[in-house]
Amino acid sequence: MKIFYQTFGTAKKKFSNFLNSFFKKKRTRIGIYGPPNAGKTTLANRIARDWTGDAVGPVSEIPHETRRARKKEDIIISGANGSVVTMDIVDTPGVTTKIDYHEFLEFGMEKDEAIIRAREATEGVAEAMHWLREDIDGVIYMLDSTLDPFMQVNIMMIGIIESRNLPVIIVANKIDLADAAPARIRSAFPQHPVVAISGLEGRNVEDLYETMIEYFG
Amino acid sequence: MPHKCTKCGREYNDGSTEILRGCASCGGKKFLYVKEEEINKDVLEEKSIEEIADESKEEVLEIVEKPTTRKKEVEMYDRVETIRIVSPGSYELNLEKMVKSDERIVSVGKEGSYIIDLVSMAKEEPKKKARKK
Repeated sequence: MKIFYQTFGTAKKKFSNFLNSFFKKKRTRIGIYGPPNAGKTTLANRIARDWTGDAVGPVSEIPHETRRARKKEDIIISGANGSVVTMDIVDTPGVTTKIDYHEFLEFGMEKDEAIIRAREATEGVAEAMHWLREDIDGVIYMLDSTLDPFMQVNIMMIGIIESRNLPVIIVANKIDLADAAPARIRSAFPQHPVVAISGLEGRNVEDLYETMIEYFG
Repeated sequence: MPHKCTKCGREYNDGSTEILRGCASCGGKKFLYVKEEEINKDVLEEKSIEEIADESKEEVLEIVEKPTTRKKEVEMYDRVETIRIVSPGSYELNLEKMVKSDERIVSVGKEGSYIIDLVSMAKEEPKKKARKK
């Protein structure tokens, strides 16, 4: 009898997996990428707070605060015209080509701690790239609009994302700051949609949600 | 009041800073305060300094070395980098990591400074070919 139940259980599981493969739509997994300190986690927190009432991770003014990718699943975003998209948001560590512990010392960090942070940040970049290779269906590329968008790392990353045929929305963040120049980002990447927001103040994020539904839906 | 090394019996003057580095003769780290008049008691009575320490109930001074603060270097297989530039023209290669993937992380100098080759990280892992028999 026991064997019968076991076999029955396995068969049931197999059957439900079989059905799921037909009916369960694979969720879209959106990666938030960008250089360190662009505001990736601030945006991830805002998206999570707006649609699930939750948070993703801590933020800090010291670069490379996020050193492991963090995933928030089943975020349901609904647009003005009633369309709904379910997505997983992956907040990734800041991607850069150079990490030096000296930059953390300027924030008053101890040398030992700074060296560990540099090491973890390097592993973080590798993890972010791993996600991009394996498991991402669309990218939100965050840029600090007070900075020059033509940094080597941005050009390289957008190129990599394009070569993988992933849809990308470029976010020109920090428009609450006086020297923000989102127009510079628009002219740098004319081939992609650019949304100017303030992740911190929540300014214009509605626009971003609409664009997300349009491009990732 | 002088001290005596409990290991070899060498005498040191009171207040001597020499003993802070350990006994100059044997490297011993324990010293006993002995009374001036009993300074040769160990030799005369053929006792070890430890026995005298027990008798005199005098506290034995022990030099405790500070634990060395130098951190253990991260082992090669735990390193994040594939190539380390130790100094111009001098390299260390992390072969284990090189075999595992095409990722190239270069570290410059001793530690905490990295250069990351993003393009090497964006490459698809080569699919394992099924071996035909």
